[in-house]
Amino acid sequence: MKILSIDSATESATCAILDDNKVLGEITFNYKKQHSQILMPIIDELFNNTGMNISDIDAFVASKGPGSFTGLRIGMATIKGLSQGTKKPFVTVSTLDSLAYNLAYTGGVICPILDALRDNVYTALYTFKNCELDRISDYVNISIDDLINTLAHKNCNISFVGDGVLKFKEKLIANLPNVIFAPAHLNLARATSLGELGLKLLSNGTFDDLYASVPIYLRKPQAEREYEEKMRQKKNE
Amino acid sequence: MEFLVTTVDETYNIGEQIGSLVNSGDIICLIGDLGTGKTHLTKGIARGLGIEDNITSPTFTIVNEYTGRLRLYHFDVYRVNDPNEIEAIGFDEYIFSDGVSVIEWANYIEELIPPNNLTITIEKDLQIGDNYRKISIEYSDKRYDYIKGIKL
Repeated sequence: MKILSIDSATESATCAILDDNKVLGEITFNYKKQHSQILMPIIDELFNNTGMNISDIDAFVASKGPGSFTGLRIGMATIKGLSQGTKKPFVTVSTLDSLAYNLAYTGGVICPILDALRDNVYTALYTFKNCELDRISDYVNISIDDLINTLAHKNCNISFVGDGVLKFKEKLIANLPNVIFAPAHLNLARATSLGELGLKLLSNGTFDDLYASVPIYLRKPQAEREYEEKMRQKKNE
Repeated sequence: MEFLVTTVDETYNIGEQIGSLVNSGDIICLIGDLGTGKTHLTKGIARGLGIEDNITSPTFTIVNEYTGRLRLYHFDVYRVNDPNEIEAIGFDEYIFSDGVSVIEWANYIEELIPPNNLTITIEKDLQIGDNYRKISIEYSDKRYDYIKGIKL
């Protein structure tokens, strides 16, 4: 099975073509969000340089988030359009899963963090069990302080990956023991990682429904925001 | 800081001076009743940023984007019933970006506005004159100290 995968949930605009045995090509730009302008040319380039065209693709993989609102919608709309037009299935995979998968076979806890602004991160916790990626928490949108509290009593290594590292590295080092950070070449969303996870799902017959599939934005519930606002005002009084 | 103006041109002129001084990431909140000149002030800001496009109020589109010396995101949240709505269009990604955000009716979405903003309040006083406006500028973050250089 040949698949085309796209991840535009973060600053990284990344596309790849994979089959069951290997990665055939990947193009990634991790520089300024310009997804709406470069995503289609990247796909075109991949096809041109692999001598393939859209009809060679058996299925598609998109990021379902969490991440940038606009980025998610660009990626999702692109994949849905390609899927509908070619009548081939698609599946969505979380960018948090794919970031964790960048650190395949790492011991301890893997903690991808994406900057959710206002000192919040999108995150989830993972381990590698029997060479398989295992998510051990929900996908959440929490403050970096809450995440630190959650991780404070873990006595294993914690490996961070994702754009949140750029913003919170110092804070994590200062507040947690045993922290490790992904090297730069692994510290970005990559369509190969997302695609490989998607390929496993598709091979098992799992795919998304064209009309029902929506990104997970992980916005904080309004009640929570109002509570935070109240606390903020109290602090200012 | 306060300016008392008597013509639309003066409002525009203040906007233009602000536009020529704003920096990447600035968030400008515009508060004032209908017809006080929020959009005129924004037109001035856009001009000051070197934007040639005709600026119209994004009452229905919620946000319009322009490119000048910096990106300008012009919001009008008058029609927004619930801050959740505006959050759902990726509001944070705009206001925490490298561009400049101007938000008309920012008081409607107070809970989403970060503290490091520049707030401009425009008030009429019909007893003084139809075109009289009091423009009050407030901020707490030093990043906006350039406002002190504005002259009517």
